[in-house]
Amino acid sequence: MSSRRGDRALWPWFIGLSIALFAIVLGSICLGSTGTIAPAEVLRSFAHALGWAGAAEDPRLDLIVELRTWRALTAAGVGAALALSGGLIQGLFRNGLASPSLLGVSGGAALGAALAIAVLGGYGILDREFAPSALFVPLCSFVGALATVSLVAFLATRGGRTSVPTLLLVGIAVNMCVAGAFAAIQSLTLKDFEVSRAILAWTFGTLEDRSSHHAAIVWSAVVMGAAVIPFIATELDLFRGGEADAAALGVGTSRVKIVTLVTAALTASAAVAVAGQIAFVGLAVPHIVRLIAGSSHRRMLPLCVLGGAIFLLGADYAQRALFGAMLQPGVLMSLFGGPLFVALLVRHRREVSAW
Amino acid sequence: MVTWLSARGLAHTYRDGPRALDGVDFSLSQGELVVVIGPNGSGKSTLMKLVAGLIPIQSGSVQLLDRPLAQWSDRERARRMAVVPQFLPALPDLRVSDFVLGGRYAHLSGWRQATHQDHRVVSQSLERCDALDIAARSMNEISGGQRQRVLFARALAEEADLLLVDEPTNSLDPEHQVRVFALIAELVRAGRAAMVITHDLNLASQFATRICLLSKGRVAADGPVGHVLRRELLEPVYGEHLYYGSFDDGRGGGAPFVLPWLDPKRPTSR
Repeated sequence: MSSRRGDRALWPWFIGLSIALFAIVLGSICLGSTGTIAPAEVLRSFAHALGWAGAAEDPRLDLIVELRTWRALTAAGVGAALALSGGLIQGLFRNGLASPSLLGVSGGAALGAALAIAVLGGYGILDREFAPSALFVPLCSFVGALATVSLVAFLATRGGRTSVPTLLLVGIAVNMCVAGAFAAIQSLTLKDFEVSRAILAWTFGTLEDRSSHHAAIVWSAVVMGAAVIPFIATELDLFRGGEADAAALGVGTSRVKIVTLVTAALTASAAVAVAGQIAFVGLAVPHIVRLIAGSSHRRMLPLCVLGGAIFLLGADYAQRALFGAMLQPGVLMSLFGGPLFVALLVRHRREVSAW
Repeated sequence: MVTWLSARGLAHTYRDGPRALDGVDFSLSQGELVVVIGPNGSGKSTLMKLVAGLIPIQSGSVQLLDRPLAQWSDRERARRMAVVPQFLPALPDLRVSDFVLGGRYAHLSGWRQATHQDHRVVSQSLERCDALDIAARSMNEISGGQRQRVLFARALAEEADLLLVDEPTNSLDPEHQVRVFALIAELVRAGRAAMVITHDLNLASQFATRICLLSKGRVAADGPVGHVLRRELLEPVYGEHLYYGSFDDGRGGGAPFVLPWLDPKRPTSR
C-alpha cells in the first residue's frame, strides 16, 4: 500500500487539481451577495480586462467580477500558503500533529498585524494604492510569526534535540502569552471603532473586501515558499531518521532548519496578514495530500500548495453555495479543525502515549 | 599503511555532565577493523561522534585524510566517512530502496535529483549486503537482522572508505551477530577501514585487527587482540566477573575469549 503510494505518477493529480482549482475560482466569482453571474459573463469580463472584449452592458458587472476575482485569488493563496507552511512544519518536527497555529506562527503573525494596525490605525490601510503602509502590516506580521516560532523552537530545544512533547507544551505556553498581548491590544484600542473592528476581523479570519494588494502579497509568499521546496525537500526526508543521522549523511542540518522555519513563517504570516487567523488548513491539507502522494516531501509539498488553495476556497464556496454566507472562513475552519485534531490524536494515540 | 583518520588529545565535557573524554588519541588506517570496547559511560559513543564530526570538537584535533575535519563540508565528509547508527526511529511509509537512496545524498547534484547511477549504486549496495530481495519492502516490516543489513547497504551507497559503526549487534541473535561482523570484515578486506563500537569482547576477538579499550574517558589499551584481551588489562576496567580462556588450535595460539561469569573461579552451571 505504502510503496504503491510512493510510486504513483503525480502529474495526473496536478492536472486534475489545476482544472478543479480553476473551476472553483470561476464558481466563486459567479456566486456572491450582489447576485449570481453566469460563468460565460465572467469569462467575457476577464477578456475585457485583458482588452480582448468590450465592456458589459451593466458597467457595475465588470467591477463586481474584479472584486470577486481578487477575493477568490486571495482565498486560494491563503489556503496554499497555510498548507505549505503546515507541510514544512510537520516535516521539520517529524510530527503530523504540528501546525502553524500550534507552534505560534499564526498567533505571532496576528499579534504583529494587530500591533501594526494599532500603530497605523484604520481598517482601510491595506486598500490605499501604493501606500507604504500596505506592506507594513504584512511585514510586522512576518516578524511576529518568525519571532514566535523561533522562541518556541529555542525553548523546546535542549542540547540540539527538540523534544516533541516539550515543543507542543512550549507552543501552548507561548501561544498563551501571545494571546494575552493580543487581548491587551484589543482592550486598549476598544474605543477606536475602526482599529478594533480591523483587529477583530483578524481574529476571525476574513476574506471580505480583499484587493489586488492582498492577492499579490499572499501569492508572492507562496511563490517564494514553493521556490525553496527543491532545496529542503530531500533534506526533510532524511530528517525522518533523526537530526544526527541526517547530519552524518551530509545534510547541513542547521541550514535546513533555518530555511524551513523562515519559509514556514513567511508563508503562514503572509496568509495571516491578508486574511487573519485561519486554522485547520495547515493541519489537515498535508494529511490529505500524504494519502495521495506518500510522505516524500519532494512529492507532497508541491501538492500541498495546490491542495491548500482548493481546500480553503472550496470550503468557502461550498458553504456559500449551500447555506449562503453564514460564517467567516476562519470560523468555519475552526469548527472543523478542533474535531479533526481530536480525531488525529485518537488515531495516533499509541504513538502519542510513548512520548 | 595509510592513516585515514587520526585524533589527538580529544577531550569532551557535556553541558552539566561529567567529563566524557579526557585526552584520547585514536587512529584508523586502510585495511583496519578497529573495535572500540569499554564499559558503559567510558566515552565510546562520544569518541565516535567527535571523529564523525557530529558534535563540535572542544579540545584536541581530528584529521581526516589530508586536512582537519573542521575544514570538510558536510557533504564532502559524508562521501568519505559513513556512519552506521545504532538506533533509528520507526520509518513507516518508507521503502528499503528509498531509505538506502538516502546514502546517495552527498553525491546528488544541486537539484537533488537521483540519477540512474545513484539507483545503480543503491542496487549494488543492497546486493552486496544480501538485501536486494527486500528492496521494495517497507522499513517497518523487516526483521532486526534485515534492518542491520539495510543500514550497511545505505552506508555502502555513500561510497565512503571509512565506516563508523555503533553497536551493530545489539538485539541480534548469535547467528546474525556473526554475520554482521563477517560483513564488516569483508568490506574492510575490500579496501575500506572500519571503527566498530561493541560490548561483545568475543566478536572483537574474532574479527578485530586492533582493539581500543576505553576506560573513564581515557585509552586504557590499544593494540592487537592478544595484547588487549588479557586479565591484567581488562580486570581493572571491567571488574572481576569475567572468565578468561582461549581456543585450542593445537599449537597454543588459539583466539582468546572472555565470558561474563559471576564466579570465574568455579566455571560451572548451578
